[in-house]
Order: sequence, then C-alpha cells, then structure tokens
Amino acid sequence: MRKLTHNSYFSFLGEYPPNIKLLGGKGMNLFKLYDNGIRIPPCFILNSRAYIEAIDRLHISEKLESLFSRSSPHKDVVNFANCIKTEINNYKFPKECVTELKQALIRVQENLGSKIFFAVRSSANIEDQVQFSFAGQAESFLFNKTLAEIVESIKNCWASLFSPQNLLSLLKNKQRGIELPTINMSVIIQEMIDSEMAGVLFTINVLNNNANQMLINSNWGLCETITNSSVIPDLIILDKNEFKVIESKVGDKEIRRVKNPNGPFTITVKNKPEIKNRLCLQLEQLLKLHHLGLNLENVFNYPQDIEWAFKDDILYTLQSRPITNLSLNK
Amino acid sequence: MKVIGEGLSCSSKKEILGELVYVKTVEDVIELFDCAHGKICLVDDAGITTLGPILSELTGTICTTGGAGSHLAIISREFGLPCIMGTKFHVEDMSILIGKQVQIKYDGDNNGLIYLIED
Repeated sequence: MRKLTHNSYFSFLGEYPPNIKLLGGKGMNLFKLYDNGIRIPPCFILNSRAYIEAIDRLHISEKLESLFSRSSPHKDVVNFANCIKTEINNYKFPKECVTELKQALIRVQENLGSKIFFAVRSSANIEDQVQFSFAGQAESFLFNKTLAEIVESIKNCWASLFSPQNLLSLLKNKQRGIELPTINMSVIIQEMIDSEMAGVLFTINVLNNNANQMLINSNWGLCETITNSSVIPDLIILDKNEFKVIESKVGDKEIRRVKNPNGPFTITVKNKPEIKNRLCLQLEQLLKLHHLGLNLENVFNYPQDIEWAFKDDILYTLQSRPITNLSLNK
Repeated sequence: MKVIGEGLSCSSKKEILGELVYVKTVEDVIELFDCAHGKICLVDDAGITTLGPILSELTGTICTTGGAGSHLAIISREFGLPCIMGTKFHVEDMSILIGKQVQIKYDGDNNGLIYLIED
C-alpha cells in the first residue's frame, strides 16, 4: 500500500482517513462510505493542494478583493467571472501533478479496464455540511475519457466556484457581514456509472419532516435531471420502519440525460411515452434503496440526502450528505 | 381570489404574499440584487441555482418543474423558504402574472396553491 503524505496531489480510497480540508465535503463522505463497505463507483481525489497552489499563483484572492471594493461590484460579476475562467483554463498544472494524474489513471484502468469513462466532480470544503449544503453551486463534468478531457474538466470545476452567481453570493454575504470560511476545492475523479435510472433518496420525508418515512425521486438516465430540476420526477414515499410503499406518483419525466455518443459529457433525450408514463423503480429496487437508506443513516448517524444510480441492477451510492436545516422544515 | 397554479410544496408551509418576479438568467439576478426583498421568484428550468445570491431575501420560490430532490428545493429548505416545485399554471399567457401580487396557501398534505390577488 502506498504511503500518502500531504505532499501528494492525489488521495486514494482506503489509504487516507476522511479529511474535509484535503478531500472536501463530498470527497470526505465518499471516503467514509468506502470505509464502511458501501458500494460507490471507484474514485480518487485531486486534493485541495493543487487548487490552493493554482489560486495562489493566479492571485485570485487579490483580484476578488479588488472586485468587491468597486462601487457597484454586482454589475461587474459576469465580466469578472469570464476573466477568472480564462485564467484558470490557461493555467499550467505543475509537472509533478500531471505525472501523478497519469499514474492514478493507469492504476484505475488496470483494475477496471481501459474502456471506462470518468466523472469529474467538485468537492468544496464548504459543501455537504450539516449547516449549509452549498448544493449545486459548483459543477460536475461527466463522461471524460482522455487525460486532456480530465484536466480540462478539473479546471472547469475550479472555475465553477467563481461563476457569476457564486460571486454574487460571496458579495451578498460580505454585505451582510458574513465572512465565508476559506474555500478549498478538491476534485473527485470517479468511474462514470452510465446508469439506467438514478435519483435522490432522503432518509426522512422532507415534505413534512416525518422521520418514519423516506422520500425517493427518480428518473431514467443520469441523476442530474433530478437535482437541476429539468423534470418532474417520480415521487415515492416509503415507510421507514417496515418496508412498505406509502405513496407513489409517476412524474412527467419528459427528458433524461445520457452519455454523449459523439464525445465527452452528456446530452438530453426525450423519454418515449412507454417509459415516461410508468415508474422507473420496481419493488425490488425500492427494497434495495430502503436498505441503503437505513444503512447510511447508521453510518453517518444523521438523516441523509443520497444521490444513487442503478446500472445492471447494481445500486451505486454517488454521494451522501446530511439533510440540512431539519428544524426549519415544519 | 382565484387559484392560478398548483404544485408540490417542498419546504416551509408558511402562507405568503408577494410580488411575482420571473428569473431566467444571471442578469435577472443582478437586476434584483438590491431589491429582491419580499418577492416570490418564478423559475422554469435548470437555471435554478442562480437564485442563491438573493434567496435569503426572497419570500418564496416557484418552479415549473423539479421535485423535493432539486437543488432549489434543498437550498430553499435551508433558508426555511416556502418552495413550490413541479408547478402547473392554469393560465395560458404567463407574462400577465409577472409583477402581480400572488399568495401561496396549502391544501391536503403537500399541495401548494398559488392565488392571484386581483387589482
């Protein structure tokens, strides 16, 4: 087993204890899932060291300060975000980092074969915490294949932190006297699961805060149509204590996201009526999700918001985070 | 007062009243940056995380698609903000609603009803 130190750019499952500063919130939770024997797509993490070096070399903190000291900074965020994105995209990774990335990819491909694709997913230290989930504020890039695609997607993950809407959020917090903690961004490089159906599982019913129920949203294809509201998904309420379907409602599910057949990333396709008008999940799959929900609540000892995917009838946990602000949802 | 739309209530069940504003792009958020207070924001697609910067000042959010697992629903819950997802409107021309006062009430378990306050 390789000995990891803080001097490495990459952290590998099972070889490093979950650590939020180094792995980010999502990454830390994935490491914890792996340590507890939960099936996640294999991954490794470009830890925050690479991000901190890049931000430092590009003087981004100083540039942010100068933006925020202007008279109406909110009017300049779109231009500013474009400039930062260009600078990050032109950034040259340290040689050592590229070498380590190549080695890491070879290592994964030795285990999983060379045909696999990778999801490149952001994992900021302020994401996925009990107090504040920062849900969906930084982006993920799916179905990367080559080293060049992965490097580009890593940079796009970093740049997504400085999107116009995130700059506006930082500015708003500053105006209200709330200083955000220093943001560290790690990036997860994970086997891409080309799922047949995917969705979200809450281990309580978040509609009415009922802790004796679980809530599931599902659609065909990849999970992103659920989280970014591009469909009305299927809705299923389960009894938590004893597996039972309390309510199931077929969602509109007009579209789904699937692998782009002609290159990296994903495309949108229409769901045909025969799949659109029926539930994605059958009883057996609901049973697996129910079991997963109980299991993860146990692992984290707190109600969880879980993104999951089914491929060839195997259930994968894509991420798990605490359900935020439970007390307010009454 | 008539019901103009209904959807799934995914957050606080507080009855609210506010001016309906429509947000499609980040430019719309910049417009609202200093004046979002008390408004109810309508969005209709994946651009929803755009609302982040003004969410703490809004009175509520309405989305024409999505469900409890959408990021908009998750962050609305973080702010304790009423949030109606997968909303179907009973009016043909939505543009006549923009800038009008609307009220959100609830019926049944989680059904959010949107009322137009007549001038």
